[in-house]
Amino acid sequence: MKNILTYSYYPGCSLHASGKEYDISTRGLFKALKIGLKEVPDWFCCGATPAHNVDELLSLSLCAKNLSLAAEVKGDLAVACAACFSRLKTTQHRLADNPEKRKQVEHAIAGSVPEKKVKHLLEILAKDYGLEQLREAVTKPLSGLKVACYYGCLLTRPPEVPELDCTEAPTIMERVIGATGAETVAWSHRLECCGANFTLSRPGVVLKLSGDILASAKAAGADCLMVACPLCHGNLDIRQAEIEEATGIRYNMPVFYMTQLLALAAGVPAAKLGFDSMIVSPLPLLKEKNLL
Amino acid sequence: MKNTKMTLSTETMNLDFVRKVEALSGSSVRRCFQCGKCTAGCPMRSFMEHPPNRIMRLLQLGQWERILAGRSIWYCASCETCSTRCPNKVDLAAIMDALRKLSWDANGPSKESYVQLANRLFIENIKTYGRQYEMRLGAVFNVKSGQFLKDLLLGPKLLSRGKLKMFHSKNKNITEIENIFNRIEEMRKNSSKF
Repeated sequence: MKNILTYSYYPGCSLHASGKEYDISTRGLFKALKIGLKEVPDWFCCGATPAHNVDELLSLSLCAKNLSLAAEVKGDLAVACAACFSRLKTTQHRLADNPEKRKQVEHAIAGSVPEKKVKHLLEILAKDYGLEQLREAVTKPLSGLKVACYYGCLLTRPPEVPELDCTEAPTIMERVIGATGAETVAWSHRLECCGANFTLSRPGVVLKLSGDILASAKAAGADCLMVACPLCHGNLDIRQAEIEEATGIRYNMPVFYMTQLLALAAGVPAAKLGFDSMIVSPLPLLKEKNLL
Repeated sequence: MKNTKMTLSTETMNLDFVRKVEALSGSSVRRCFQCGKCTAGCPMRSFMEHPPNRIMRLLQLGQWERILAGRSIWYCASCETCSTRCPNKVDLAAIMDALRKLSWDANGPSKESYVQLANRLFIENIKTYGRQYEMRLGAVFNVKSGQFLKDLLLGPKLLSRGKLKMFHSKNKNITEIENIFNRIEEMRKNSSKF
């Protein structure tokens, strides 16, 4: 057994609302793996895409403020949402070699920007905790379940920011879920954009892009999708019925957060993983695979 | 841009604007050699009247008014594929951010209003509550965009699953965020650099 791991935790706005099952299953998984997780008190929204779209200084300042709040809590900062992760890492990257920008941001937040290691949950599970240990923690192997791992945009792009895995051909999600005995499929759309925040302003964009993703996963023979971002989840799960209506193709494809599947494999009871919050119910699939 | 007459002169080539874009984005405009890789990988190209490589060409030619008048910059999803794949290190995603900022600050002439409205409400929520209040975001968007029935069936589905909160309390440290907004505004009053 390695040293006991402990992290500070930035859930982000979605995980307290539309992506709550990601939060519930993250806490459940970390408890089962005996990894410490302490939420940063009074964190703010990271600004996400709308802030950096029109106001870089605001975007950097919001993230810098969150980093300074996180510095009060022990351990590297664990981030679940791919978009928050990207914004926090981008802020560190932009300020690292730009003293003038750093000065502006420090003036805006009236304080210094502390050094804090920001890690996505995938990195914590694959690298800090380790695949070997993850394999040992599995009490209910997910064998027989065919998973299409969907990365989306911000877990790997641009190459100098997330530093999570290879930019164009990552395998970190496949390796992590592979540790549970699940089968992963090879498919074309795992790095394509889902339409992200157009879900509010231009949902037609989401229906097209997310529709292509679902079609690709289905063509590869996947039983389900696995994601690590609440925005991707919203588009693929919440808007799936509309996509089916627009395209005339029935997918009925459950979209899991990676922590839901991992926690299930690590023996966390299904009732505690927020499966009932998903719009496309995964219960028939899990029953069929004898995983309930 | 087939059949479009393009007049180039020192008057149409407002390079001050291009320099502003370069300063804001930290990326060179001149480095683009039109290989088209950004457009080939862009998931939003079919929604844009000017695809990404043409945006670069128009910028190089100082034809930025045509860019700002259109919808393309607001249809960029910030997926970062272009910046990742550019063989000559043009950070096109950052250039898109800079173009949007300049258009936003100038209350630009773009016809795309829904994306800008969504951005505005999102940022307002941060200032008022500290975090996103998804229920309010959706409801106010529908009212202000005049699409009262948009996603009408989605609301109850999400509410019944506890995915939307009817009420949302403000962060108790909300004044710290208000101060950040105020200081940035103050900085902008004193300098045109930001």
